[in-house]
Amino acid sequence: MSRTPKSGNSTVWSLLFFATLALFAVTLYAIFVLAPVEQQMGIVQKIFYFHVPSAYAMYLGFGVSAVGSAVYLLKRDPRWDALAVAGAEVGTLFCLIVLLTGPLWARKAWGVWWTWDPRLTTTLLAGMIFAAYLALRSMGDAGEVEKRFAAGLALFGLVDLPLIHYSVQRWRGVHPTVITGKGGGLESEMYWALGLSFIAFTGLAALLIWARASVERQKEESARLRLELMHR
Amino acid sequence: MRALIAPLVLGCTMLITPLALAESPPEPDTTASEAQEDAAEERATQFVGVRGPEAESIPGGALLLAAYAIVWALLFLFLMRMRGLQRQTAEELERLSAEIRASEGR
Repeated sequence: MSRTPKSGNSTVWSLLFFATLALFAVTLYAIFVLAPVEQQMGIVQKIFYFHVPSAYAMYLGFGVSAVGSAVYLLKRDPRWDALAVAGAEVGTLFCLIVLLTGPLWARKAWGVWWTWDPRLTTTLLAGMIFAAYLALRSMGDAGEVEKRFAAGLALFGLVDLPLIHYSVQRWRGVHPTVITGKGGGLESEMYWALGLSFIAFTGLAALLIWARASVERQKEESARLRLELMHR
Repeated sequence: MRALIAPLVLGCTMLITPLALAESPPEPDTTASEAQEDAAEERATQFVGVRGPEAESIPGGALLLAAYAIVWALLFLFLMRMRGLQRQTAEELERLSAEIRASEGR
């Protein structure tokens, strides 16, 4: 890569970083100051403003991983593989956030930490599929076969994503549906806080994927150099 | 013979049917009643309402704090891990490049 695009990338990265940071500050203000406390659930409902955008960032990460894997299978370009690994890792991070913050809300709202609701179960399944992907990729320097197999696994994981989203509509579950067509909606301040949080989490997920993919490309480069050194 | 058997069967049926349909109290089965008692002991048999202000209270604030702490802690750990990985890879790249330069110099 030439020097100019690298410095250009760095500028874009810095801009995105500071914009995301500023957005998070505004989002926190909107969540805790502007958005009202929910009538029935009380203050615990404010978990929603990080829980839902985390689920969206999870979709983003897993989606990027699946797209990167599909293109890698077609082109065998290691840059797409690096993107797939980055997406899977960031998606798993947000999946973990969703699976840990959800039960904290559920304890208050449903009286239980966990229930085998369709949305909860399919989210857990997606997390397990991409955890298997990461386990496969973490076994030393992945060879071509491991990379292809992992790419297949990411594509399999992609199938689960629409299931998570439509599980609430297709199968009767207990998970709330306030921001879908069937829901009763949110108050305008709540919408603002949620919207800002969505944008902030998009920026955060993009930054993390970008940074992690860059490290993965460095790892690829180091593996290439090691191979070159061995053949000398 | 057949003419004799048919009224006999009919008569027996008419005699038995009222007895079979009669709701006689079942014989007290000691093992069944003991099993019922055990099952009843295992689960709650009575619900008593809380009187006064001592109702169950799940601390919403603590749960909210825990959720936000989890988000920031996980993000922080992920960033730390990525920083370590990046440093380790950069060092390895530097070392390998130096080794390649050294082998070219030979």
